[in-house]
Amino acid sequence: LGDALVRRHLQELNTKCVVEMEKNQTILHPAGANLGKGDSRYVFAYDFCFWSMDESEKDKFAGQEVVFQCLGESLLHNAFLGYNACIFAYGQTGSGKSYTMMGSVDQPGLIPRLCSALFERTVQEQREEESFTVEVSYMEIYNEKVRDLLDPKGSRQTLRVREHKVLGPYVDGLSRLAVASYKDIESLMSEGNKSRTVAATNMNEESSRSHAVFNIILTHTLKDLQSGTSGEKVSRLSLVDLAGSERAAKTGAAGERLKEGSNINKSLTTLGLVISALAEQGTAKNKSKFVPYRDSVLTWLLKDSLGGNSRTAMVATVSPAADNYEETLSTLRYADRAKNIVNHAVVNEDPNARIIRELREEVEKLRDQLTQAESLKAPELKERLEESEKLIKEMTVSWEEKLRKTEEVAQERQRQLESLGISLQSSGIRVGDDKSFLVNLNADPALNELLVYYLKEHTKVGSADSQDIQLCGMGIQAEHCVIDITPDSAVIITPYRNSRTCVNGSPVTSTLQLHHGDRILWGNNHFFRINLPKRRTRAAEDEEGEGGVMKNSSSSEQLDADGDSASEASSEVSFSYEFAQTEVMMKALGNNDPMQAVLQSLERQHEEEKRSALERQRQMYEQELQQLRRRLNPDRQSFMGGMSHSTSAQSRLKQWSEDREAVFVRSLRRLREQVVRANLLVQEASFIAEELERHTEYRVTLQIPADNLNANRKVCLSHTHTCTYTHTHTHTHTHTHTHTHTQS
Amino acid sequence: MASLSSAEWRALCDKFTTAQNLSEVESRKDPANDPFRSKYKARELLREIYCALKSFETTEGENESGDQRPTEQPVDGEREDGFGRGFNGDSPAGLRAAKLGAVEYYLGVNHIETEELSAGQEHLMNCMKQLEKCSVSSENVSLYIHVRNQLGILWAGRDETEKAQGFLETAESIYQRYMKEEGSPPMDMTEYFTTEENQLTHQERTKRFELAYTHTMYYLAQVYKNLGEIERAATYCHSTLQRQLLLNQYNPLEWALNAATLSQYYITKGRYMEGRHCLSAATVIAGLAGEVPSEAAAQESETERERRDQLRQKRAEIARCWIKYCLNLLQDAEKLLQDNIGELDTERQEELKRARRGEEEAEEKDRKSALLFGSEDTFDSIASLEEKVRCLFPLDFTEARAVFLVGQTYVTQAKEYFEIDGYVTDHIEILQDHSALFKALAFFEEDLERRCKMHKRRIDMLEPICNDLNAQYYLLIRRQLMFELAETYNEMMDLKLSLANRQADTQPLDNHTIKKFNHLCSSSAKYFQMFLDSLCSPEGKFPERLEEEVLRPALVARFRVARLHSRLICSVPSAQLDNLNKSLDNYKYVVEYCEAHPEAVAAVETELELSQEMVGLLPIKINRLKARMATNN
Repeated sequence: LGDALVRRHLQELNTKCVVEMEKNQTILHPAGANLGKGDSRYVFAYDFCFWSMDESEKDKFAGQEVVFQCLGESLLHNAFLGYNACIFAYGQTGSGKSYTMMGSVDQPGLIPRLCSALFERTVQEQREEESFTVEVSYMEIYNEKVRDLLDPKGSRQTLRVREHKVLGPYVDGLSRLAVASYKDIESLMSEGNKSRTVAATNMNEESSRSHAVFNIILTHTLKDLQSGTSGEKVSRLSLVDLAGSERAAKTGAAGERLKEGSNINKSLTTLGLVISALAEQGTAKNKSKFVPYRDSVLTWLLKDSLGGNSRTAMVATVSPAADNYEETLSTLRYADRAKNIVNHAVVNEDPNARIIRELREEVEKLRDQLTQAESLKAPELKERLEESEKLIKEMTVSWEEKLRKTEEVAQERQRQLESLGISLQSSGIRVGDDKSFLVNLNADPALNELLVYYLKEHTKVGSADSQDIQLCGMGIQAEHCVIDITPDSAVIITPYRNSRTCVNGSPVTSTLQLHHGDRILWGNNHFFRINLPKRRTRAAEDEEGEGGVMKNSSSSEQLDADGDSASEASSEVSFSYEFAQTEVMMKALGNNDPMQAVLQSLERQHEEEKRSALERQRQMYEQELQQLRRRLNPDRQSFMGGMSHSTSAQSRLKQWSEDREAVFVRSLRRLREQVVRANLLVQEASFIAEELERHTEYRVTLQIPADNLNANRKVCLSHTHTCTYTHTHTHTHTHTHTHTHTQS
Repeated sequence: MASLSSAEWRALCDKFTTAQNLSEVESRKDPANDPFRSKYKARELLREIYCALKSFETTEGENESGDQRPTEQPVDGEREDGFGRGFNGDSPAGLRAAKLGAVEYYLGVNHIETEELSAGQEHLMNCMKQLEKCSVSSENVSLYIHVRNQLGILWAGRDETEKAQGFLETAESIYQRYMKEEGSPPMDMTEYFTTEENQLTHQERTKRFELAYTHTMYYLAQVYKNLGEIERAATYCHSTLQRQLLLNQYNPLEWALNAATLSQYYITKGRYMEGRHCLSAATVIAGLAGEVPSEAAAQESETERERRDQLRQKRAEIARCWIKYCLNLLQDAEKLLQDNIGELDTERQEELKRARRGEEEAEEKDRKSALLFGSEDTFDSIASLEEKVRCLFPLDFTEARAVFLVGQTYVTQAKEYFEIDGYVTDHIEILQDHSALFKALAFFEEDLERRCKMHKRRIDMLEPICNDLNAQYYLLIRRQLMFELAETYNEMMDLKLSLANRQADTQPLDNHTIKKFNHLCSSSAKYFQMFLDSLCSPEGKFPERLEEEVLRPALVARFRVARLHSRLICSVPSAQLDNLNKSLDNYKYVVEYCEAHPEAVAAVETELELSQEMVGLLPIKINRLKARMATNN
């Protein structure tokens, strides 16, 4: 912040030049009485050094323009940004201080240039929504008292320096005059200077012992034209002419301020400053430990300029003449120390030992977890992370995006279902009371009766795309069968050749009329039940009376081997998948009785072996028997009296049971996998919860929601299950994160 | 024997008086373009006096030439002081030498004052030569001291502090030996050139002589200070104050403020007994300055207004020094008693309490050896004021509370003058001290609930003012407040948590506690963030490079914000993720800043180390959370 400025000294021609400047260094050579003290050359470094002794030395000479460019422009820029700016000028009388600050008519100094530039810029930036006002104040600080230099009556009255929490430091009662051009400023300054001189004469004071502070207040008003509201940005430019040190030192009267360096203050009035310096030295930077000795009014008034949110420059002017050696040295020293004047309010932080310790613990914890994670299979971890990344990508899709995608998927699903002939009215099977439709039967109650296929006049069933009801899977032919509705509302089924179609458990090879509640099996495992409109149902009942749905048959009546076991069927829903499946099996067994034969032979064998006391074998057979019975019909073992045996049926049964077994085993394996996986996740969740010091519990529960239907699959649904994590917080509200695995 | 006639003598005396007047009084009116006019006039007169004396001496000196000793350049500090050698000070020859020495002295001072230091030095050394000729006596001892004081100042100004020290220390020993061996009120230098009837009274002589020596003390204090011998410097400042009081050469308000300032030195050195003594003396002496004029009286006249303001201000400032006393005493005790994480170390507490007994005896001894202030009439009142607060470290809550309450009383007193309206900075500094008093007291408080309330008091007093202040003018103070508020909220947060955990160790936190915890946590983060935002440029850009004085605070604030974000209890995974990411960003900032600016590493070593760890570990935690969120969705 310091600038040493060499100005032509009036008497320089007669004396030796002792000041030299090199780049940003100012070198003071020993002179006169100080010669012979060895190498007492002083070197001071500043931000800028301006040499202006001889204009003819072009490469060395720094004119007013250069000084302004280096100092003034950036200060001005900052003022427009809202920073406060301040220039201190310090130097011996005759060293060119006023030339630098004020200049001459031909060579205007820093202040006129600054002001002209300021007004130029306000004019430039002036627009409808932005306006600028400039005000000035001028005061003098003498003996720690403030006087208003612009108030004609004010010079006799001392003003108080105060602080306001919003307006900052201010001088109570100091006049602020609006100005429109540099001319105004110039005349006010000269008025003020006159009043300063007069006061000094009246009071027998010396102006060189007082500081003069000229403030330019720039108010930048921003108006919002639409709302009509406006805001203000105020910045202050302070130009401070510091009391010349020379006279003060010479008379020995000024010693209010503590002398710099190793100098000794003569007067006991400075004792307080010396003591205060001791306290400061004792605590280094920690100023909050003691009450600072009250600084001078000047430093107090400019405290916002001396640190923090402001830009400050100090201009020190020195004379190159050997005569002024002492003064020059003291000025250079002062400027060198000017950097230290800056007000550094240090933040006193608490020792954060505890925070450090806590964090160290957390670091340890996390690190342990990392090692644990690493000890697991690394590729697996990587895979999982990649999987997570992928899922995260999905998650990070915006909500709108998600809704849009969901909608798309729903439409796609509808199209797909429609193409499969499935009713879009998914709300249940009771919707179409006046219509004929098929409804699926499934072992899984959640999937049971979910798909509704309305019947048209002519409905084609098969695996080919041309079919109205598209089925796929084992035993389904490309064109499997046709269902027709006759004009008199009878529903007729006509299977194609070589396609397996069973109605109520009995294989159908030719056209057959269907009745309400009839079970249809296509291929290996597509079970359906047919619903007919009420009117037709009743009619059918009346007409047929046998083989149909025994809706009204008394429940006490035992089911016959024929398998029309509607005994307990008090409602339509009772025709379950199991029922239909058993029915088929029963019918198949009933027809050629292969199972019964097996069972009988097994039983016989069992009897024989019992007799031959081959206990182990007997047990084995018994077990096998038991199994077979259970497979046939767990509920109706007692009715499996007359089963016959055929090789084809046996192999079919065998295949069927194998299939079933395979499905079962596969499903079970999947289920197990998923439970294991869920458990893994739960473990991890608990793990992280613990690390976060949350009192959280995670559980795995299995639940199968009724509305869980995945549309992306074909009709052959296997099973769906849901793992639910219950994440129980210490909060009252519990969040449930649902994670669904679906397989097809 | 040629001798000056009494008329000639009288003329010479008049000349001297004129010269004195020109130098001391007229010179103040000299115009700026001829600043030394009067000084030069005075110099001419002094030269004339010198010549007159010299001619008188030459005629006389012929008789005495046989007695003249060869003189070498006297340099103090290298040889014995001037006792028992040469002419007797009271002999005519001795007196003449003293008179010539005195003129040389005045010429020396005159040259120094007109910035002709080398010439000044020459004259002063000539004075020394004259004094060499005679032994120390009541006729010349004052000059002996004065010339050395001047030479001390001269050499100190030339950065030759040791040389200055030599002259001043000799002056000190001459004074002490004189007082021991003679002790009679010595002649003042001005008396060499006064007629009989204008001789000074004994009282006046003593006063002037003692004042010269007081200056010696004061200059020595500065010399020691410049040599870095702070403790010795303080001792000499203390002596200076003591002498001022003893010799009744002081302005009560100024003296009181200086004593209070000295207490600040002692406090920072942990010498609480001396600190308390200075403060008690300051309060008592400030009381001697008289009653504070009423407000009505102040409105009547400006003098009264000025006096009222001065009295109130100085007393308020002394009160502020008392606050610092209480505060530092509490804080130092806290440091003494805390374990490595800042909690009360009960073992240490017991140990210190046991050691207390011996210390009290030592205190008595200390008291005797301490440099006491006061005259007979003030001593009692100073002592009774000292009794109101202990100077030993408080070791438990009761003791701490006693210190706290004294401090709080002074807070109220200081705030009466330093109102927010008009004294924003001072007022806030007092508030900050008040807050710090609460904080230190809280350390001693075992009840967590009450401890928490103390911190709440701190927030209540600092938060509104922090938000009211204009950031443009009070940037630095606002930064301090923001930092303190952030830390206080953090403290409360920790307390709330341990309170909840203590009440129900195994139970999960209830909803209310979590809400409270999160509020405190985010408030703390908010103020740290405000602090960081205050570092931004007017365009809102965070600086690329942090200024030295905000380097550590800024990095620590980042670090703390990082920590706080990861501590927020949050049940919504997306928000949790957000917090962890913010946390990571802040840790990253610390690490990256230190990578870009390696010079910053030393300032935040521990924080950096932990930040580096967290930057490595947090992403894993974040990924886990993401995975959990993904699988749960």
